[in-house]
Amino acid sequence: MKPAPFDYTAPAELSDAVTALAERPETARVLAGGQSLVLEMHYRRERPALLVDINNVRELDTITADGDALRVGALARHRAFETPTVAPGALGRLLSRVSPLIAHPPVRARGTMAGSLAWANPVSEWCATAVALDAGIELTGPAGSRLVGAGEFFLGPFRTARQPDEILTSVRLPLLPGAETGTVGVGFCEQHRTHASFAQVAVVAVLTLRDGVIVEARLGLAGAADRPVRAHEAERHLVGREPEPDVFAQAAALAAAGADPLSEPHAGVEYRRHVIGVLVRRALVQAREDSESADFFSGAGRDGHDGWEAR
Amino acid sequence: MTGAGNYVGDLKVAGCLDAAFVRSTVAHGRLLAVDTSAAAEVDGVVGAWSAADLGDDLAFVPPFFPSAGGEDPRRCAALAVDRVRYVGEPLAVIVGTDRYVAEDGADAVRVDIDPLPALVDPGEAAASSTWLFDGVDNVATEMEFGTPIDDEVWQRAAVVVEGAYRQPRLAPTPMEPRAILAVPQPDGQLTVWVSHQAPHRLRRDLASALGLDAERIRVRVADSGGAFGTKSGTFAEYLSVVGLAVKLGRPVRWLEDRAETLSGSTHGRGQNQRVRLAADENGRMLALALEVDADVGAYPNTGFVAAETGQAAAGVYLTPNVHARIRVVVTNTTPTAPYRGAGRPEQVYAVERTVDLLARRLGMDPAELRRRNFIPPEAFPYHSPTGRVFDSGQYELALDKALELVDYTHWREEQQRRRRSGSERPLGIGLCSFTERSGLEQAPMANEWASVDVAPDGSVTARVGTCSTGQSHETVFPELVARTLGIPPGRVSLIEGDTDETAQGIGTFGSRSMQVGGAALHRAALELIEEARRRAGEPDARYADGTVITGQRSWTLAELAAASPEPLRAGGVYDTPAAFPFGTYVAVVEVDRELGNVRVLRLVAVDDCGVAVDPEIVEDQTRGGIVQGLGQALYEVMPYDDQGVPQADGLLGYLLPTIGELPPISLDTTVTPNPNTALGAKGAGEAGCIGTPPAIVNAVIDALGPQPAGTATDIGGMQLPLTPETCWLAAAGQEVAR
Repeated sequence: MKPAPFDYTAPAELSDAVTALAERPETARVLAGGQSLVLEMHYRRERPALLVDINNVRELDTITADGDALRVGALARHRAFETPTVAPGALGRLLSRVSPLIAHPPVRARGTMAGSLAWANPVSEWCATAVALDAGIELTGPAGSRLVGAGEFFLGPFRTARQPDEILTSVRLPLLPGAETGTVGVGFCEQHRTHASFAQVAVVAVLTLRDGVIVEARLGLAGAADRPVRAHEAERHLVGREPEPDVFAQAAALAAAGADPLSEPHAGVEYRRHVIGVLVRRALVQAREDSESADFFSGAGRDGHDGWEAR
Repeated sequence: MTGAGNYVGDLKVAGCLDAAFVRSTVAHGRLLAVDTSAAAEVDGVVGAWSAADLGDDLAFVPPFFPSAGGEDPRRCAALAVDRVRYVGEPLAVIVGTDRYVAEDGADAVRVDIDPLPALVDPGEAAASSTWLFDGVDNVATEMEFGTPIDDEVWQRAAVVVEGAYRQPRLAPTPMEPRAILAVPQPDGQLTVWVSHQAPHRLRRDLASALGLDAERIRVRVADSGGAFGTKSGTFAEYLSVVGLAVKLGRPVRWLEDRAETLSGSTHGRGQNQRVRLAADENGRMLALALEVDADVGAYPNTGFVAAETGQAAAGVYLTPNVHARIRVVVTNTTPTAPYRGAGRPEQVYAVERTVDLLARRLGMDPAELRRRNFIPPEAFPYHSPTGRVFDSGQYELALDKALELVDYTHWREEQQRRRRSGSERPLGIGLCSFTERSGLEQAPMANEWASVDVAPDGSVTARVGTCSTGQSHETVFPELVARTLGIPPGRVSLIEGDTDETAQGIGTFGSRSMQVGGAALHRAALELIEEARRRAGEPDARYADGTVITGQRSWTLAELAAASPEPLRAGGVYDTPAAFPFGTYVAVVEVDRELGNVRVLRLVAVDDCGVAVDPEIVEDQTRGGIVQGLGQALYEVMPYDDQGVPQADGLLGYLLPTIGELPPISLDTTVTPNPNTALGAKGAGEAGCIGTPPAIVNAVIDALGPQPAGTATDIGGMQLPLTPETCWLAAAGQEVAR
């Protein structure tokens, strides 16, 4: 398990990293946390001729509120999201529910959210989160930066819209809407074999409730297709209805029926499809409960004064 | 933890080369060509060899038990010749200035294999007309224990239950995979550093396989990151590394990595089992029949593991008619070998799961059913129908203690409460009562060498032929010798795992180190006291606290050692027969029926390993074994596809329980001393992974019940490991096919 020979550069400036990558785009890879790429290099399934290590690019190591979005730089590690104060309100609560279920502590200390999106494992928790929230994905290449929506970014297992000469420099997660639109509740459930395992299925649920009725529903699924997907049919079913068990069960059935999970040695397709339904229902229940407690605590999260600090 | 350990990978040797292996990616096929020419051209590569390149230098793995008649038709070459028989089989070895270039060289080797049908299941392999070895079929050994049971016994019995179970292949997965470093000296001596359980046997085998003089080989066991049975062999890779070090006259090291160990290193378990159990209307067992197809993998070097399953067949129960038929079958998979438990977990699982089936059939409490059938304490030494002699046991005592510790009545009530509520997660309680064998019954290996020396400064050196691979010998053996001699433990140092320093040794496996090696040290220390008295001139003198006290004066051991040029020493080879530790484990689980997830709420283990010399070390052995047992019950399996390709090449595919999966564990003991040694210790290394899997599986079945009344078979039911999918299918009452 030793990598094949490769060249290595670790510039301190983003522009130098972009230039280095652009010189050999087809054979170079970008190194951030390295928790997937380096393992694959050790197996020699990945054989980059050049590694562009961006860990010295300080400007990428930031998490900031930027207008109506949280801008997560490419070097923000998974563990930065373990506490709800990482972002205001419902977004912070959601991220802090997702992060602790990503692999184990050493991986969370090195791996990055942006790296997970760039790697595009179909069972990645962050990828499901990104599609659920319609995250913006910032790609920086020789011609400058562009923003791609998460819905268009993922093309298949480990395939994305990133061009070989582009670096995924930040992820923009919308701050979940405040008091005018309603109360937001978030839920996250996943099925994994051990705490060190990838998810078999993961479900992100975000419900916006007004006057006891669901006005917006977002369901992001990992492990339900060859890429992270929204459960659009289930979402449409939820909107305009009350957050009742029957409604959740119907939405869960729609999500499961619409899924096209891949098989793997530890679980067949039918089991995974079944799990999607169970977890969608449970994540929706969590989201409803979360919205109730968010309401109960005098809407502190909605005002943005719940201890969140800009970083 | 100090970070001061010295593993084979830590040793600094000038000019050391690293080896890497090219391994087969095809399970079965004709090996048409292995072209190493491009590898030899890679910068930094010193040489690359296939079997053909080695010619007459090609070595063969010596058989574990040498056979009487000529060349073994199923022998294993250091590098494959003509045929490949499993994915992971070494085809070529590349030696380079470091591991990176050695792997670059391995990349450049071209291999041409013409595939043959792959045989993955031992039952299918036994019946197949495709033979792995020319001229001999796929059944390597057939064994019978006990006498066949008359049909009349089954017909007369009030109840007969029958189960069919699969023991999946497990990867032992020590933290440190295999490791070896061969250092030839200019004077013709050869030092072999290795992570190993039996250095003397390795030395003998290396000499015979490579045509070397055993007297000139020094095998030294470095600090070891675990073994669990998978480091007891003389492996094909070791023959290549040592042979090339000698051929090149340079040090060569091989550190097996995680990717290659999962299919390159020996696996454990791997049995298809069929059990039939008859009882009268009161639940008294009348007959037990066990049939096993044991999957020994591609090369049947160590088929004796399955013999243990057969010899132990009836377990802790007084069953008059017992018969076991064992077939050891070759398949196109990684060879199996002893893995912690080595034949006992397989036997205990087969019987304990069937005993629970019998309890359900009879509508009887499974604890009560066990109680009625235990071999009673007064029956020992007990001669079993399968020809085994059990030394001592108090099985009911261990059961009672376990039931009390877990609070069995409470959990049975909680189980009923949840069943009535209908909305809560179902709860189940599972039992496993077992006895296991520690040490060996085979006379040539039922002994260990030990010596105790006193230096003129009073320091004591203990030497023993066992070999720690993580069992804390460094702590407990000096403790034992110091306690026996009545001196502070700090005065005693231990030497083991070095063939120049220990005259001989059988090694560490089968939970034998304390039972056999410790007993040997204990006896050597007692003999040393006799020798000290003799030197003091009064064989009947009092001895206490490292001092011989005669009427007029006293002599310390140091004084006695200094008084004569003749070393103050005692030692030799001491016999200790096999012993039979036992216990009862109880698991309490709840099952998320929707997802099939099992949560272990309690795991209680009551073990009896005789006298525990250091109870803390024994507890840690038990805990470690329990975690491996938890792995076997719920997570671990080396999956193969139909082509014989393993579906896990890392620990994301081969699932080990992590700290997050650990249940609350409660331990207790009973103490039934080993009647055959003064020390009284039985083995304690393997019980945890023997008692745990059946307890958990029985608990899950109990949770998912109640079964339809009168169910007499458990065929096509849940198989190990109990994945969420398996439990979901069982909970939904669907056929469990996977």
